[in-house]
Amino acid sequence: MSQVHTTKGLIDRDRLVARDIVSEEDNARVVATEWHLDGELVRRDVAVSILRGHALCGEQAEI
Amino acid sequence: MANTQAVCDSFRVDLLNGTHAFGAQGANGTRTVTTKDVFKAALYLASATINRSTTGYSATGEVSGTGYTAGGVTVTNATAPANTGGTGIIAFWTPSASFAWTTVTLSTAFDAVLLYNSSNTATASVAVFTFGSQTVTAGNFTLTMPTNDLTTGLIRIS
Repeated sequence: MSQVHTTKGLIDRDRLVARDIVSEEDNARVVATEWHLDGELVRRDVAVSILRGHALCGEQAEI
Repeated sequence: MANTQAVCDSFRVDLLNGTHAFGAQGANGTRTVTTKDVFKAALYLASATINRSTTGYSATGEVSGTGYTAGGVTVTNATAPANTGGTGIIAFWTPSASFAWTTVTLSTAFDAVLLYNSSNTATASVAVFTFGSQTVTAGNFTLTMPTNDLTTGLIRIS
């Protein structure tokens, strides 16, 4: 049986309730996964995907 | 105070000064160093102020917590800058792996990452990215990079 690291130590996966919270920011997609044990938050992971990098733009015609 | 995503102003000057080598620096008659620089990524509290005016890494406003090392993580950089896939006038570079912090507890809200050159003695900054306020509890924080191409690459110059 798999176990998950939490604030309470390693807990069997099937004792935990996980919930994903998805949000969209200006330039990122965020998925936070909250793990609860008997209603108490015992772990929170966050995965951020940067959607697009930054651009330095110039005018090629001026070069 | 707030963090604002941007390419740092000093980065533009640093490029002209040859401060950054994202790929192997070209040898010339003066320089013999041909290695690429080491870049790092550090997380900042939502209450901090990092933005285009940030010139380098600072511990001020950086997150702290279990499992987090000041200065952040080393960026995996296995892919050299390129200008392929279009007319060639856009050069782009993206780290070749996500920025990842494993089994950390970051209880105070943070919302930004600073990408900077840690090979440079002044830890020259590159850019700031924001992602909304987050906390992590006994878990992992991962920043996945965009596709490395001319339209979404992490740093693009046209």
